[in-house]
Amino acid sequence: MESVRDHLAGVLTEKFEVAPERLTPDATLAGLELDSLAVVELFLTLQEHWRVPLDENEEGASELSLREIAALVEARCDGSRTGGPAPGAEGPR
Amino acid sequence: MSESTPAAVICGIGACLPPRVVSNEEVVRRGVLETTDAWIRTRTGVAERRRAAAGVSTGDLAAAAGRAALASAGTEHADLLLLATTTPDRRCPATAPEVAYRLGLGHVPAFDLAAVCSGFLYGLATADALLRAGVCSRPLVIGAETYSTIVDPLDRDTAAVFGDGAGATLLRPGRSGEPGAVRAAHLGSDGSGGDLISIAAGGSRRPDTTPRLCREVRYFRMRGREVYRHAVRRMTESSATVLGHAGWSSDSVRAFIGHQANQRILDAVAQRLAIAPQHCFGNIRDVGNTAAASIPLALAGTAARGAVRPGARTLLTAFGGGLTWASVAANWPGAAPHHRPPEPREASADTDRRTADSTSRTTDRSAPRHSTRNRKAPPWNPSATTWPAS
Repeated sequence: MESVRDHLAGVLTEKFEVAPERLTPDATLAGLELDSLAVVELFLTLQEHWRVPLDENEEGASELSLREIAALVEARCDGSRTGGPAPGAEGPR
Repeated sequence: MSESTPAAVICGIGACLPPRVVSNEEVVRRGVLETTDAWIRTRTGVAERRRAAAGVSTGDLAAAAGRAALASAGTEHADLLLLATTTPDRRCPATAPEVAYRLGLGHVPAFDLAAVCSGFLYGLATADALLRAGVCSRPLVIGAETYSTIVDPLDRDTAAVFGDGAGATLLRPGRSGEPGAVRAAHLGSDGSGGDLISIAAGGSRRPDTTPRLCREVRYFRMRGREVYRHAVRRMTESSATVLGHAGWSSDSVRAFIGHQANQRILDAVAQRLAIAPQHCFGNIRDVGNTAAASIPLALAGTAARGAVRPGARTLLTAFGGGLTWASVAANWPGAAPHHRPPEPREASADTDRRTADSTSRTTDRSAPRHSTRNRKAPPWNPSATTWPAS
């Protein structure tokens, strides 16, 4: 089964054109130069794909690391009966 | 729906853009904004917008666009006028009856429709239903705005985005297989998000609009990041719904025009719908977000270029304050759009105009102060269609 980390990495490289070598676990969204609208778009994409609620307006969302974002999604998938890839989801969109 | 089902058909397209162009540099300078031309282009896709001259109202733009749509259809007659706007000439009465009067339409039904940026598609869906119900046979649907009267020049998030303008379409009875036929519509709202896009003062909840009020309540305000999320989700869902109603797959759509709110929102919606960039059209770079005028202006600009084959499957979708959203599936119209300059009312009738920031508005003394009703329409001077953004 696709992991949250793999999906997150795929979205960042394909949709936001972040160079793969910059995708370290401790890299923050701000450090990857995602502006505030890009952060909203990223969280919306993750929310749609994993079918979990994500509040992208949380204070400091731009300062979250990739490790923290993956953990956030995983935690909400675990705590949700509907969490998991959306039906028909095929990688990053 | 078979190709011979009775349907409302778009038979005329009109547009009115004020001649005054306001660059990003001017917006930054005027508002002493902490931003740059590059930031505005990157974040919004807007390079410039139009501004109505002092004394030119929403009704003045609406009358011009409506007259242009009638000329486009080769007629002087409409039997219902529906004006979608956030910026009516006065709080009371509605602006539509006076526009109908100025167009010489007689005592036709005329009313304003308030759905902010979704207003034109709400109006198009309403006119389509009224026509098919037999209430009217030639409804004129206009979207017109002068956001320069409600936007705070000191607010980076809105001052850089909005512009003035008007667009219009005339409908006639026809068949669903014809170019211009409206095939399906979908409308929705969610009032729990009413604070995300609003002007706090000036309504019955808070009537006072005197300048002593702080700018936050006097002017139009929009919570951009939250709006982004709702706009992308709602326009995507509404588009999928209306395509389902029409029996069309998204990959059969040959013309997609979303509300010109923000290029990144438009990209996000098109991507989710899997509509290829070559089928996406718009004019946000050149006119910004013109709210209720956005869809018909983009429709007019695209049609003026002949960029889409008449009859091609067309998806229109919008999202706005309310929150409201709307989508329409239609066949691309065959009408050639017309453009007309604003039609200012007689100078003596404009002395009651007061804007919240009138001293800082640009006065264009070269603007005509007489009726332009009988002037020959100038050649089409459309905003360039800019999608994909260059």
